Amino acid sequence: MTVQNPSRRKFIKQTGAVAGGLWVGFAVPNMAMAKIGMPEQAAFNPNAFIHIAENGDTLLYCGRCEMGQGISTALPAAVADELEADWSRVSIKQADGNEELYGPQSTGGSASIRTMYIPMREAGAAAKAMLIAAAAKTWQVPEKDCYANSHFVINRKTKDKLGYGELASLANTMPMPESVTLKTKPDYKYIGKDIARHNQGDIVKGTLTYGVDTKVPGLKYGAIVHCPVFEGKLKSLDKTAALAMPGVEAVVEIPRMAVPFGSIGGVGVVADNTWTAQQAVKKLKIEWDLGPNKTYDSNAYKAQLVKNVEAPAEKAAERGDIGQAFANAKHKVSATYTGGHLSHSPMEPNASVVWVQDNSCEVWAATQSPADIQKVLAQYLEREPKDILVHVTMAGGAFGRKFKCDYVQEAAALSKAVKAPVQLTWSREEDTTTGYYHSINAQHIEAAIDESGNVTGWLHRAAFMPIASLFDDSVDRAPARSLGDIFNHPFGIENMRTETGEAKRHTRIGWYRAVYAIFYGFAFGAMADEIAHKLNTDTVTLLNRLYDNNKKPELQEQARRSKGALAMAAKKSKWNQRDKLPKNQGIGIAVHYSFASYVAMAVLVEVDGDNIKVLEVDCAVDCGQVLNLDSARAQMEGAVVMSTALSLRTEVVFREGAVVNTNFHNYPVLRINEMPKVRSHFIDNGDEPTGLGEPGLGPFPAALSNAVFAASGKRYRDLPFKPTSV
Amino acid sequence: MAQSVTINGESYDIDVDTAMPLLWFLRDKLELTGTKFGCGMAVCGACTVHLDGEAIRSCVMPVSAVAGKSITTIEGLAENHDHPLQKAWLKNKVPQCGYCQAGQIMNAASFLAKTPKPTPEQIDTAMQGNICRCGTYQRIKVAISEAALELGKEV
Repeated sequence: MTVQNPSRRKFIKQTGAVAGGLWVGFAVPNMAMAKIGMPEQAAFNPNAFIHIAENGDTLLYCGRCEMGQGISTALPAAVADELEADWSRVSIKQADGNEELYGPQSTGGSASIRTMYIPMREAGAAAKAMLIAAAAKTWQVPEKDCYANSHFVINRKTKDKLGYGELASLANTMPMPESVTLKTKPDYKYIGKDIARHNQGDIVKGTLTYGVDTKVPGLKYGAIVHCPVFEGKLKSLDKTAALAMPGVEAVVEIPRMAVPFGSIGGVGVVADNTWTAQQAVKKLKIEWDLGPNKTYDSNAYKAQLVKNVEAPAEKAAERGDIGQAFANAKHKVSATYTGGHLSHSPMEPNASVVWVQDNSCEVWAATQSPADIQKVLAQYLEREPKDILVHVTMAGGAFGRKFKCDYVQEAAALSKAVKAPVQLTWSREEDTTTGYYHSINAQHIEAAIDESGNVTGWLHRAAFMPIASLFDDSVDRAPARSLGDIFNHPFGIENMRTETGEAKRHTRIGWYRAVYAIFYGFAFGAMADEIAHKLNTDTVTLLNRLYDNNKKPELQEQARRSKGALAMAAKKSKWNQRDKLPKNQGIGIAVHYSFASYVAMAVLVEVDGDNIKVLEVDCAVDCGQVLNLDSARAQMEGAVVMSTALSLRTEVVFREGAVVNTNFHNYPVLRINEMPKVRSHFIDNGDEPTGLGEPGLGPFPAALSNAVFAASGKRYRDLPFKPTSV
Repeated sequence: MAQSVTINGESYDIDVDTAMPLLWFLRDKLELTGTKFGCGMAVCGACTVHLDGEAIRSCVMPVSAVAGKSITTIEGLAENHDHPLQKAWLKNKVPQCGYCQAGQIMNAASFLAKTPKPTPEQIDTAMQGNICRCGTYQRIKVAISEAALELGKEV
């Protein structure tokens, strides 16, 4: 593939940052952002750098945040492939927060790979071209007589070799190429292969630094307790006992900062170690004014959401004539599906170090969005975002939680108060009870089916609290555009109407990994199974028919690739032989398109009375060209683990305004003894690559629900199926 | 005279509030941050270290209770970080975010020392107290089985 579009590709050479060697920077093209529906950036900015030192050591900067998804290995490996670098000579540095230098760094929406894959490779190819040009100049031969391989440029005729290190400084004086030719699949060395995470050695030694591990000279330690109810505030505070503890330096009131995404409001303690700070927090005597959400009861609210979607709601979108479709229907199938609040609960609780000084502010944080930290701290400290220096550390899991920077703003408040660097680490209890939550949700679907078995009409109502409601009192339901994934679903249904039901805010919403795909995937996937049962056909046949009925040109690719994933999941799970399973076992299948990737899952379960055991999961994935096969598999394993727990039992419950769950004993995530056998299969069709951080969560809940139905005849329509009582 | 504790072969005075859990003595006083804070109530296993070779949860163990004893953390598990478990973890590319892995490895090391030929069921039982949110359990099981074979060869 030759990329010739100078107006869309801007390479830059940087000099002066480090003397010597070759520097190459490059820009993410706007079209890549536009294609996936993300806002275009105002300017083309160089956003990653390659540095080859004179000894050949090659440093690749990763601008996107690493939280375990493996992006800081996958993208640099693609650069190294085009660069013809020797991977063992490559090291990777996590870039500081600086969107002028590195482009958009906010890491979510499974977007890193699909936006960065081509530009990253182009940068590698550009650097390679400059190294070849330098070698050609040295040998006084045409560039076409030279090629690059494994950190050397080689003269085709003489077989002479020059190392990248020897060439780097001369290469830096070569002009940037106007166009580059990218490699093709047969020549990939690292793309699509099993590449180990670059940091796994440090992980098993215990030397990798996470947000919670940062140490700087003069560091003090913080702990915090928050108002347990959203929009409540401090009424009275007696800090005498806390301040009397040896080692305690300060007790700091932190009012709610009602901007996206500031503190919920609380009281922090600064001490000479984290444990003392945590103990001191317990000695604070606090009265809260619990505010307008003090009666919030999530179980009652869920029941209300069900009512809101089982009655006419506000129209979001409509096509065809749904009334006619139902009037002519031979069969009607309807069902209501719900889902609970979820806490992201990464193993590393929220933690950062902030050092606010008169003329500077330095942050070390596990984050998904350094730019948001800059924005919020700038607002809080009344400074400019560029004056907030953010070092991005490894995140010990994030799953959407670390997109929000409330905990960093709180650390800044503590640092400001004691005029020293402060590391604030949230307790697990604060993480569980005063976080941002995946919204509770309800959906009601009515499907009309004609006499030849085609689904002709689809009414779909959804209700959940949108993030926008936190900052805008007039927002009392999900905006119509949030139901776009329903309306544009690749099922071919001629007459459709979507409606959004009332869902007023009562807590802070921050989406869990996979966002709407968790509950939309559940509703579509389970409904398809229910319709298949009603029509006495099998689910795969019905799904294929639904996709085949899609006549919209713009959705043909989605329909085709969804079918491809479905077929692979069916084949690998021996769907056609499911009647040979023992009586109490069943296979369920579902496919969901989200974040530009297609994942089908076939789940094998065993049901004994009330006990559901997930035995095996076959994941069939079409994410185009796989970048790193190993981490792609890991994403599927992780998606299964997470969605098994949220399907079966984990839910955050609110009573009297506050979260009842507190820690992992009553927010019971999956443990090793419940791990099903997960097999991942990749279609790997060479299409442009798309991300996999989230898409695995879309199909699983429905596939599991369908499997339990197949095994036992019991249909679960509520996530979690059997909530843990708290 | 202050009490002391041996950590990874070196003796340290316990110069903190004796009720302080070992976890925070390690992390905030000695700046040995390989041992992680996850839950604070011994339900996640991220803080697992060895007390005289036995896996314990350092987040609930007062540092005074380990006075005169010998503690091993992930940093000291093997001199060259080449414990068969560490090697098996790399070979199987176990970590995703990696935050829980020190605790997983320390728990597994203590388990294998007592159970050199574990069955899959024994691995499940022994490792139930260690949570991984990224979902690396499938690989952990394989890595422990492989390390057990490797340890068997060494004897």
